[in-house]
Amino acid sequence: MFLFSKEELSPRLAQIQALSLFSTLSLRQLKVVDGLLHERSYLKDEIIFDEGEEGQALYLLMSGKVMICRQGQPETGKLVELGPGMQFGELALLDDAPRAAQARAAENCTLAVFFRADFLSLLETHAVIASRISLQLARHIGRRLRQTVSGAAPQPAL
Amino acid sequence: MSMQRGSGPVVWIAIIAATCLLLFLFQKILWLVVPFLLAMIIYYFLRPAMQRLVLGGMGHDTAAALVGGGFIVLLLICVALVVPWIIAHGVFWQESLARYLDGGNLLLQKTLDALEQRFSFLQRASLSRNVGNEMAAFTETFAQRHIADLAVTLAAWLPSLLLAPFLAFFFLRDGRQFKKFLGRAVPNAFFEKTLYLLHEVDKTARSYFHGLISLTVLDAIALALGLWSIGVSAPLLLGIVSAVLAWVPYVGSILGCLLVVLVAATDFPADPAMAYGAIGVFLLVRLLDDFIFMPLTLGRSLHIHPLLTVLMIFIGGAVAGVAGLMLVLPLLGVVMVVGETIGRVVTDPRLQARHAHARRLQTAQASTDL
Repeated sequence: MFLFSKEELSPRLAQIQALSLFSTLSLRQLKVVDGLLHERSYLKDEIIFDEGEEGQALYLLMSGKVMICRQGQPETGKLVELGPGMQFGELALLDDAPRAAQARAAENCTLAVFFRADFLSLLETHAVIASRISLQLARHIGRRLRQTVSGAAPQPAL
Repeated sequence: MSMQRGSGPVVWIAIIAATCLLLFLFQKILWLVVPFLLAMIIYYFLRPAMQRLVLGGMGHDTAAALVGGGFIVLLLICVALVVPWIIAHGVFWQESLARYLDGGNLLLQKTLDALEQRFSFLQRASLSRNVGNEMAAFTETFAQRHIADLAVTLAAWLPSLLLAPFLAFFFLRDGRQFKKFLGRAVPNAFFEKTLYLLHEVDKTARSYFHGLISLTVLDAIALALGLWSIGVSAPLLLGIVSAVLAWVPYVGSILGCLLVVLVAATDFPADPAMAYGAIGVFLLVRLLDDFIFMPLTLGRSLHIHPLLTVLMIFIGGAVAGVAGLMLVLPLLGVVMVVGETIGRVVTDPRLQARHAHARRLQTAQASTDL
């Protein structure tokens, strides 16, 4: 048995790599990140987080749909509906600022949750992985900023 | 960890009461708590090495097995080499112990003689002769009275101490799964806040044990350098033993000081000034420890108010003796985080309402086709 043998990309890791935040990570780096992700299942209409709540984690949608809306207004205050492979709550990786909107499951869904504390410990222990994630995060926020400036932003940064 | 919003006197009383209760319970299962604590120290000491191997491309379990297993093998080799050596030199150890006790006695005698010469009322009370007789009686029967008890205690503790490296190995291998396992047991509504709590506990424990290791290294080096500079024998060994003894607040420091004085008094029987010099070096290192090393290492990790720290050390000692002195600060650090966060989760009506809503959805989904 080789200790450092080359391994195939498992379906789970392929799913994680498909997420834009982790798209630049190598297989080894993906395995490190996978060890930090928590998987949660939500039922349709279940609240994932509230507007104004202190953000501790980024959510990655593995399956199902999530609706981002104004607090308590799923019908009238709907901002955007997200599908598999998309992420929300990304600003929680940077600080514990209040969430800008409410997130609730639009249908039964599975989410991978990435905590800021784990991201911060990655900065200390696996700086290369953390810097790659940071770069992707910065690109994502930059894209959103440009959309906001041009008036085409579909959802607020959470 | 700083005092959070909403942590009023009631929460603080509950935190202190919970810490005391845990200390009381822990002293009853000290045979498990001590190896657990040692395992935590080993775990946080070995974890960076395992993380480097994982980053190098090794699987998590393989890296844990290599680092944890390597440590256990190294420890077994050390034990296999050291134990026969200690047994083979049994007579030498006994003689050394007697020699150091005699050295200590001699120093005490000379110090008392000098005091008697200076203060006549001490001479009239025959202080030197009385104390000398008491000490002679104590040291003559010391070995007969205590060596057997010491050997039995060591034999009783050995299996549970050997548990520590094995526990550390499982912490390395399964610690991550344990966190996920705990996370899975938490309802969605409380998940973010509870995981935050686990992260905080882990962060507190990690910084405390890292701080403890750094503090021990700094103390050992400073004391070894000081003792070496005045010419005391085996300065590094004395430095390391004293630094490890200092894990037990107050009592450990006194024992460490006694050890240093005994060695210095035996090395220089004709020169009590050397023993006083060793005490001076020891006190200097303790001052450095209290005012420079401790704030740089442990102080940064726990952020407990100094007054509360001192009070809790006294309370810990009163509730659980020496074990209480040693356990009270890390325990208080963890109980502080747990208490404050549980308080916030339980008293948050919004989170309770969300949980109730999620339960209603679960019930509705489970009963759709009924």
